[in-house]
Amino acid sequence: MDTLRRWWDRNWLQVALIGLVISTAWVARQTQGGSLFEVYQLLTRPFQSNPSKQELLTNAKVVEMEAKLQQVEKENQKLRELLGYVAKNQQQAIAAPIVGRGADHWWQQITLGRGSNDGIKEDFVVTAPGGLVGRVSSVTAHTSRVMLISDPSSRVGVMINRSRFMGVMRGKSGNKAVMQFFERVPDVRRGDVVTTSSASELFPSGLPVGRVESVNLSQSPAPEAVIALSAPTSVLEWVAVYPVEKNTDSETSQANSK
Amino acid sequence: MIQISRLPYYGRQMLNWGVTIASVIVCALILPSRLPGMELLGIGPNWLLIWVVAWSVKRSVLQGAIAGLALGLIQDGMTSLHPSHTLSLMCVGILTASLKKQRYVQEDFISVALIVFGMTVVAETVLALQFSLVGDRSLAEIWTDHQQIALSSAILSSLWAPILYYPLNLWWEKMNWIENNA
Repeated sequence: MDTLRRWWDRNWLQVALIGLVISTAWVARQTQGGSLFEVYQLLTRPFQSNPSKQELLTNAKVVEMEAKLQQVEKENQKLRELLGYVAKNQQQAIAAPIVGRGADHWWQQITLGRGSNDGIKEDFVVTAPGGLVGRVSSVTAHTSRVMLISDPSSRVGVMINRSRFMGVMRGKSGNKAVMQFFERVPDVRRGDVVTTSSASELFPSGLPVGRVESVNLSQSPAPEAVIALSAPTSVLEWVAVYPVEKNTDSETSQANSK
Repeated sequence: MIQISRLPYYGRQMLNWGVTIASVIVCALILPSRLPGMELLGIGPNWLLIWVVAWSVKRSVLQGAIAGLALGLIQDGMTSLHPSHTLSLMCVGILTASLKKQRYVQEDFISVALIVFGMTVVAETVLALQFSLVGDRSLAEIWTDHQQIALSSAILSSLWAPILYYPLNLWWEKMNWIENNA
């Protein structure tokens, strides 16, 4: 007993500090490193680029194509209205700079310099020039963490745009992903454009994802295609964050079931 | 410049811990950044692992394990809770502390770089094993990823290790010297 007390007299500070360190680390874990990312955002703010620079980079061709696309979209909307579709209210995108990459290489994550103070919430959809980037997985006041669609644990419902064959896409590190088809013999070719499918609950339908790079129809249990993702995540500096809108298809089916 | 040796015992201890904890925070903050020259195939050095090695090289197994646990929890918070980094970093702390470096190698820089290289491979292997057990990724993919991640991370971490090891080691040695001569 006496030795224990003498040991305690000598080492109480060490024990207390170890306890403090472990519990602080535990808090950091439970809060998803929230305070760390807040400090990180504060420190990196002077080095973040501003959007005007990015605008300079968009070349004239993109501007021209965007104008054409707008025309087509407008036409499309008018036709939909004629058919009696209810126009979806377009929600404003939140522009956010990418301030950090993944803190480990097993996960494909990025950190954005905007958080709940700017209106970002969990599960918001993140897009960039080129298409879908990922989904917001956690938010602090001024930062948010995005799980990229190239993360091996991400699952996105996708569709071959040309033939409307559907499947599930899971990430493969790098700028690649693997699409697994639902059908045994899908109509798919190299170069086909892949978009999010209307059956996806987490992402709005019709967002461009990438292009088919190679097809393996003999793969078991289901045919697979390797997809090159179109958003160049490794060189991006800014992304757009959208609130999640439930797919109109799934909403109407829910309404019908009620 | 204050004379550290003139500070009272608890003041010195607090200062020592303050510097130590500040170095951990700096490591955690560099982790999500990709500074020029710190990147290979989109992979950066694993700063928290370098810190655990620097800490454990001249300390006991228990101290190494505790450091691994604390930094593992922090890295878990910064990435994803499952699988956990606590296991891999605790392995690193325990193994590094039980290496008894002084007995075999004298030169500090080179041996620390070598230890970091080996420990990165160990840590990534422990993570890959956990991924294999969890089972939400295919085995073939995990182990191809493992090769790429372990190799580039090990090369970069070992090259950058002296930058962190040298000042920290200097500080801890100085504090030790003061404690022993006080």
